[in-house]
Amino acid sequence: MKPEALKELIYKMADDLLILGHRNSEWTGIGPLLEEDIAFSSMAQDKVGQAQNLYQILHSLGESEPDIVAFTRNAPQFHNCQLVELPIGEYDFSLVRHFLFDTADALRWEMLTISSYEPLAQVAKKFQGEIRYHVLHAKTWITQLGSATEESISRLQLALNYAFPFALGIFESSPYEKEIIAEGYFGGEELLKEKWMEKIKSVLNETQLILPDEKIITPVLGGRVGIHTEHLQPLLDEMTEVVALEPHAEW
Amino acid sequence: MSNPLQSLDPRINRLGVHEVTPETLVPKTGLDQFETYEAFLQKREGAKYEHVGPVHAPNEEMAFLFAKEQYSRRMTCVGLFVVKTDQILTTPFGPNDNSIYDLLPTDNEVVSGDPQVWEVFHLKKRGIQHHHVGSVSAPSAIVALTLAKETFGAERPVVNVWIIPESQIRFTSSEEKAIWDTLKDKKYRDAISYKVQDRIDRYKQGHPNLQSI
Repeated sequence: MKPEALKELIYKMADDLLILGHRNSEWTGIGPLLEEDIAFSSMAQDKVGQAQNLYQILHSLGESEPDIVAFTRNAPQFHNCQLVELPIGEYDFSLVRHFLFDTADALRWEMLTISSYEPLAQVAKKFQGEIRYHVLHAKTWITQLGSATEESISRLQLALNYAFPFALGIFESSPYEKEIIAEGYFGGEELLKEKWMEKIKSVLNETQLILPDEKIITPVLGGRVGIHTEHLQPLLDEMTEVVALEPHAEW
Repeated sequence: MSNPLQSLDPRINRLGVHEVTPETLVPKTGLDQFETYEAFLQKREGAKYEHVGPVHAPNEEMAFLFAKEQYSRRMTCVGLFVVKTDQILTTPFGPNDNSIYDLLPTDNEVVSGDPQVWEVFHLKKRGIQHHHVGSVSAPSAIVALTLAKETFGAERPVVNVWIIPESQIRFTSSEEKAIWDTLKDKKYRDAISYKVQDRIDRYKQGHPNLQSI
């Protein structure tokens, strides 16, 4: 077993889910309509729950307890891509991010169902139901608003133009990429990106939205090695505000 | 413009919402509402589908999504379907202890044409929901109702009957069935899993001035 390679892989997935879960939870109570408020809150809980499962696996590989890992690290110790830490912005951005990230996430977990690392293959099967809904939700909204009115289309297009370079950062290659693939832990970021491009194109083709040309875009990288925007630390401060007041409280 | 509204919730501050002073008298704006769909839910494999209520949505895909949020969140669910409200054909309501089928005039309408499938729903009594009883194949709704009476008319009481053309229903695909298969270990979703009363009581005992709260 190559524990360092495995940990790197699991940390970035867990951090993506925790941070996006927290961001999505910021819509609780202020969603654009009641069902969306509920949907985003519910998916946020799913993501945090999935992150917890992954931190648990990391714990079994010798890392600290899930709560310690989740609540006591600072921004440079997080491995999430920058896409997930960006502020929720307006609903158009949150929706486009949800679509871009969750499409990649679903494909990643599909690939992980055949991971040679059994605990990952197991949670991959466990998460299938939740993830399938997240993707259905994202796709339905993008298809609807991506061809509804002039305003909805132009809003989504602007959000897509802004989010796309960050989304390409999801697939930032790992220093352990070769081992991860050779050991059969995961099929690799490059393969995932190919599948993802195909999938989002097929959804966007049903709308009036245009995917920015990948060839002329510089992906926003760095998140996987702890380089983050100025938005992550304030998020962590807010997320850990209560824990920080009483670190040893029992819940 | 005035300063943005200040709140103890940092998310509200980030929205930069400004207070708007309303004018004294303005015309009431018309309601901008989506059309309605009716949602039907199956609690367990093999159980009858039951009507659970309406949702407002711009199309059936969105209706399906909203119905999933609204009606399948707090109960077990293995299947869901939605249909536009105005696609449902309904009989009048009958008395509580009888069958509405017996009170309807027999229609000997002769209809030719291709038969289609109609789903039949009964309401057993007022105040509960319609449940699925089966389907019939007929060239028109009226013929479908006649066939429904022959096939399902023995049930008592039946206060009201719904007939729905199957072609208008947005069902759950076999692939989508997995969306209700979610992680079980999420007790933190339920308020009941936070057992704090004994700790609150203990704290109050140490702080006599709080006893009255």
